[in-house]
Amino acid sequence: MTVTPATPPPAVEAAALRKDFGQIHAVDGIDMSLPPGRIYGLLGPNGSGKTTLIRLLMGLASATSGTAKVLGVEMPSRANLSRIGYMTQSDGIYPELSVWENLTFFAALYGQTDKAQLHASLELVELDTRAGTPAQNLSGGMRRRLSMACALAHHPTVIFLDEPTVGVDPALRVQFWEHFHRLAADGATLLVSSHVMDEADRCDELLFIRDGRVLAQGTSAELRKRAGTDNIETAFLRFATDSASAATPAAQPQETGR
Amino acid sequence: MNPLRVAAVFRRIVAQFRRDPRSLALLIVAPLAIIALLGWVLGSQQATAARVAVINDSISPGSGAVVVRLQSALEDQPGITIDRSVGDDSTARQMLKDKKLDLVVILPADFSVQNRKIDLLTLGLNSTAEAAALPAVQKVLISAAADSSAGLALPTIERATVYGSPNATQLDSLAPVVVGFFAYFFVFILTGVSFLRERIGGTLERLLATPVSRAEIVLGYSLGFGFFATLQVAIVLAFVLGRLAIPALGPVPAFAIGLGVHTAGNPLISYLLVLVLGLGAVSLGIFLSTFARTELQILQFIPIVIVPQGLLSGFFWPIEGLPNLLQPVARILPVTYAIDGLRQVMIAGADLSSPQVLLDLGVLTGIAAVFVILAAATIRREVA
Repeated sequence: MTVTPATPPPAVEAAALRKDFGQIHAVDGIDMSLPPGRIYGLLGPNGSGKTTLIRLLMGLASATSGTAKVLGVEMPSRANLSRIGYMTQSDGIYPELSVWENLTFFAALYGQTDKAQLHASLELVELDTRAGTPAQNLSGGMRRRLSMACALAHHPTVIFLDEPTVGVDPALRVQFWEHFHRLAADGATLLVSSHVMDEADRCDELLFIRDGRVLAQGTSAELRKRAGTDNIETAFLRFATDSASAATPAAQPQETGR
Repeated sequence: MNPLRVAAVFRRIVAQFRRDPRSLALLIVAPLAIIALLGWVLGSQQATAARVAVINDSISPGSGAVVVRLQSALEDQPGITIDRSVGDDSTARQMLKDKKLDLVVILPADFSVQNRKIDLLTLGLNSTAEAAALPAVQKVLISAAADSSAGLALPTIERATVYGSPNATQLDSLAPVVVGFFAYFFVFILTGVSFLRERIGGTLERLLATPVSRAEIVLGYSLGFGFFATLQVAIVLAFVLGRLAIPALGPVPAFAIGLGVHTAGNPLISYLLVLVLGLGAVSLGIFLSTFARTELQILQFIPIVIVPQGLLSGFFWPIEGLPNLLQPVARILPVTYAIDGLRQVMIAGADLSSPQVLLDLGVLTGIAAVFVILAAATIRREVA
């Protein structure tokens, strides 16, 4: 039997993925299949399950049920993590260590010890002149850039970015997105979570997420067209109301409860 | 197990310490300061001068002579002064309360040559301090009472010990304990806080997103903190065992650095015991950091984890003297085995051929292994 790869295999997959914290369904049965080489925006309000979904996809949290696959490998898989980059919502860097020490430490865990390449990663986020500065003496934006450099130093093919632009000024935000597009052009798959709807147009494709479920998936233009509006926020709210009225209260205890 | 990743974790911990001189000072300077203070207090403890009164409540014919003999015999002892102005019980008791007397010797009403029972009265506020004056008085009483009886000689007691010398100071027997206990305490606190910071600072989340394994994290941590524990123990042992006399120079009087505690055994074996104890403390710190949310909560483990070990591990009292219910508890505490091993080595001069030392080392290794497993098991615990 011969396989004809008409479409490339998906970079990130989820099947009936579910995560419960007691009574709360943080991720409530998500199915998705994301082809590689694109930027996916995971859009939804605070507490909608974005971070939990990313942690499930990375194998950092154990799913209550369902499966997650990255690059065809079922997660959690420690070996597979070397092909994945993860920028956490908090900076996740050691404040007392210098910029260079932080970068070389995380890179070493991925087996990346090439100094020239690490210098290049620092230049990319314009921190090459700050290599010796302790991270705690950096500005918030600089720490964010260091955090990104640490997540990308090993040239991952799948990159999860959890609210990467929170607290980042507009000029730097533009730089971040340019960088993301360069990575996607090189073949990487990016899943960027955000609760800022005006970042939607920068993504190749969007996933609206609320109450642990995917409300809709498609390009920004498609979704706005389906919702019959030009505004992406209005589109999100329409999808949200549609889904809420479609579900009976009994099937959705978290809607009525706290 | 990838040695490069273990080395990366190790190097990171060393780098963090280098940039955190306060923690480094806590690890090295604090135990030295405490041990120096302890050595100063215990080493040059002054014999407290005891003021003693002898009271005769007896109507027995020979008792007056006994009182006179007791008074002069007591006066011959160093540090004892006799107050001859006190005549009766109630005055004596009041003077004890007023801190004008330290000890009262009473010949009770039924005292006689046949019934040579003598009462000793002290205030009872600080039993340790009062007990210090008792041996001298008892020694005198035994010989004086024996003399007063018609040729009936009581045995006199001369103390000897198998190990060390009977004149060993409290410092000599406390030194091994202190070395082991500090290593445990500081390594536990520093690892606990350090790992808690990983948890709350988001770096653990990031570590777990890399291909590093739990075993590699625990091993890297053990090597990192083991390195500093080694540094600490080497310096503390050198300070406890060595003694460097500094001669007087100008206005500075002569003084000595180091306690010069006598050790019978090989310091390397002492070090080995403390190292295994410290490695257990690293993993215990990692494990318990799971149950803390703030650095203050790590400190809250001190009364729960550290202080009971200090009380039960033979630090102050021998294990055999503990209540029956507490003895099994003492026998599962790692510090118990470290202290026993250290005493065997430093006082009795035991080496690795001693089954007792091997048992201590074996149990310490076993306990460390259990903590390592517990620590590794909690690292994956979800950071919700």
